[in-house]
Amino acid sequence: MGCFIDVRNVSKTFRVNKRAAGVAGMVANLVAPKYEKKQAVKDISFSIERGEMVGFIGPNGAGKSTTIKMLSGILYPDEGRLMVNGYIPYKQRKEYVGSIGVVFGQKSQLQWDLPVIDSFELLKAIYRVPEETYRKNLSRFTDMLDMESFLNQPVRQLSLGQRMRADIVAALLHSPEIVFFDEPTIGVDVVGKETIRDFIRELNEEDGVTMIFTTHDMQDIEKTCKRLIIIDEGSKVYDGSLFGIREKYGTTRQLDVEFGSPCQVEPINKVEIRKLDDLSGRRQRFTFENKEVQINELMNYLLAHYDVRDINISEPEIEGIIRKIYNGEAS
Amino acid sequence: MFLKPYFAFAKKSFLGRSAYRFDHFMSILNTCLQIFIFWGIYQALYGGRSEVDGITMTMVSTSFILSMGLKAVFYVDDYFLPSKVWDGSIANEFLRPVSFRGRMLAENIGNAIFNVIFHFLPALLISVLLIGICPPESAGMTVCFLFSTILGYGVLWTISFAVQAAAFWAINIWSLATLKDVLINIFSGTMIPLWFMPEWIYEALKITPFPYIYFTPVQIYLGQLSYTEIAQQCMLQLIWILLIYLLGTLLFKKGQKKLVVQGG
Amino acid sequence: MKSDTLHMMLVYTKTIMKAWFQYRSNALLSSLTVFLREATGIVVIYFTLLKFGTLGGWNIYEMLFLFSLLFLTYGIMIIFFTGLRDFGKTVRDGGFDRFILRPRGLLFQLIFTNADWFAAVGHGGLGIALFLISAGRVGIQWNAVNILYYLFTVMGGVLIQGAIFLLLAALNIYLLETNSLKELFYWNMRKFAGYPISIFHKAIQVCMIYVVPFAFVNYFPAQYLLRKPDMAQYPQLYLYITPIVGIVMYLAAYGFWKYSLKFYKSSGN
Repeated sequence: MGCFIDVRNVSKTFRVNKRAAGVAGMVANLVAPKYEKKQAVKDISFSIERGEMVGFIGPNGAGKSTTIKMLSGILYPDEGRLMVNGYIPYKQRKEYVGSIGVVFGQKSQLQWDLPVIDSFELLKAIYRVPEETYRKNLSRFTDMLDMESFLNQPVRQLSLGQRMRADIVAALLHSPEIVFFDEPTIGVDVVGKETIRDFIRELNEEDGVTMIFTTHDMQDIEKTCKRLIIIDEGSKVYDGSLFGIREKYGTTRQLDVEFGSPCQVEPINKVEIRKLDDLSGRRQRFTFENKEVQINELMNYLLAHYDVRDINISEPEIEGIIRKIYNGEAS
Repeated sequence: MFLKPYFAFAKKSFLGRSAYRFDHFMSILNTCLQIFIFWGIYQALYGGRSEVDGITMTMVSTSFILSMGLKAVFYVDDYFLPSKVWDGSIANEFLRPVSFRGRMLAENIGNAIFNVIFHFLPALLISVLLIGICPPESAGMTVCFLFSTILGYGVLWTISFAVQAAAFWAINIWSLATLKDVLINIFSGTMIPLWFMPEWIYEALKITPFPYIYFTPVQIYLGQLSYTEIAQQCMLQLIWILLIYLLGTLLFKKGQKKLVVQGG
Repeated sequence: MKSDTLHMMLVYTKTIMKAWFQYRSNALLSSLTVFLREATGIVVIYFTLLKFGTLGGWNIYEMLFLFSLLFLTYGIMIIFFTGLRDFGKTVRDGGFDRFILRPRGLLFQLIFTNADWFAAVGHGGLGIALFLISAGRVGIQWNAVNILYYLFTVMGGVLIQGAIFLLLAALNIYLLETNSLKELFYWNMRKFAGYPISIFHKAIQVCMIYVVPFAFVNYFPAQYLLRKPDMAQYPQLYLYITPIVGIVMYLAAYGFWKYSLKFYKSSGN
């Protein structure tokens, strides 16, 4: 206990209305609706310290958004305890939400027909931000995100990247202590993504704002978060550093070897050998678990017995590992 | 064979309607309710009199049942073409090997046939049971009624088409379509049978398309017109269809050209 | 705290107005269109009464007065309750989640962030026009008591319709889709409300008095001021209780709304 964000054995089940077809079904549904239970979050626990930056990832429907919605007070958990910054979010809503900011990448909170600055002014009033703080934050953020040029343009005329930057500033004007980002780079181009990531990182490092992220883009995580929580089918399957995930799951190694001339390599115990080019076998890939096979021994063996021109060692891509975790291949 | 794709469009829109059952159920209720309200109002207006100006209460009921029922059948989505102009998909539509106007009509007719079976007939049945209706005058008149009804649909459809074609000029189509509905509601006899309109308005209306949508078929059904008059009225219906269709086509063609020149 | 709330209302209203003025000419045209659309029924009843003289003992000006109350109360109501009318949409597109994330009252935000000014101007304008045409021609003494009665009645009528919208919004939390219910219980019932309810079938009268009490929005108040003979069949008490009906209904709907919020489940995903 006493952690900044403390989630203990939280579960959330939705009742999904199951409608029968036809007029009879419709009437039956009005009189006695039938529900199907769908457990979105199953017994999740974790804690987060002040100033941390944590990435939430998982496939669609894994329970990421439900978790974020419970943390931000939109949903009540069915079971378990949830405490953020000394508040119980869903019970002390008005007091709590003043200290958080939420960015939904899919859903803008800006006024569609009005210039960006008008939405900011409105938020200033809603959050009762003092004039001085507002001015300071506004000039700092617009500077960092290079927004001067479109501050007076109606939101409907902005590009997706510009709109997302404006939305991020909108969530930060009241200097929240915690910011939740739900897919903040979705649909944004490469340069725009980089700007957003730099901004988020800087805000975390300089101001110590606690940040929680969900994303599908692993680059977001690799470039910003030190810590990663993976959720799949409502359960937490990993909680640790990005480095740790390689340690734990990324244990496969690949050795791509180019031989001087086509050759047939004798089978080696616990190593999978595959010809890369054609059947000649000038280039071949050796795949193995680094716990089971010593890499230097394998290299020495190959160098000693064959005509080796070039060797290239590679670790698996983080995305590949994650995909394997979702598919239940890694354990 | 030339008509084959249009049958397909008509069938598609017919079948598509069965998806929203509750909404459909509500719309039948809505039609019955409207009929019931007007019936109630005219019961009070007649106050027990057997007839006013030679029009009996049953004739009034018949007028409301038929015109309200036909109104449901004649429903045309005024935003079909405009929505395609707004989202730009109209350009793709012009590339298809079928006439866009033909397709609009085919889909609307598919819809209308659905409404005849699943909206008009149930509403008719309910209203007849609740308030009663004049029996058909004669077999010949019933045939004329059906023929004139189809022409009435033609008048309404071409009006809607002309309104939709105005969407190429980015006018507030919602306002235009709503104003069109206002005029039709007041002057076509759905909310006030035209017998009861002030004389000078009734005369003036004869040179507008409005009475030829619902009121002409209703008059024919009630046997108020001789066969000569029926022929005359149907001729006028045809003339209106032609005139408004030409206007709509002019707007449509010019709009199409404008679209090509400006690239949407 | 008080002035802060007031300030917030002003800022919200300013924002709505600004957005509205982005499309000035279009907005005016739309408002005018709503006005004309709603006036359709009036024009029809006008022509009808040119022929028939009276409807259930009500002449054209008395009818216009009856209609004016209906439109005026709707016009005022929709300035405040647009957010509740469109609540289903707000829930579906995630807008309500955003309200939860802001440190302000939920109903407060729903009420003050939305106002359908087209409807307000269209309905309200029609209500005022009908009032101006009819008020001097139906023999009402506009003395202090009657003016006060009229003001309270309008407030009651606004609350009655607001309560229906609030109740339907609360039901939305359970059903996610209440357009059909709204159609059935509000818009369909409202179609009867412009006419003296005494001309309709008993079952409809019962609906209009006790189920969806539109009769208290315009019929009974108009009867207080006009005293037509068809009032004899209803309890005299009904002439006086519109504001009470409004307040009671609104409080009940508010209680139900408060209770229902606990069951809110965010949509999406």
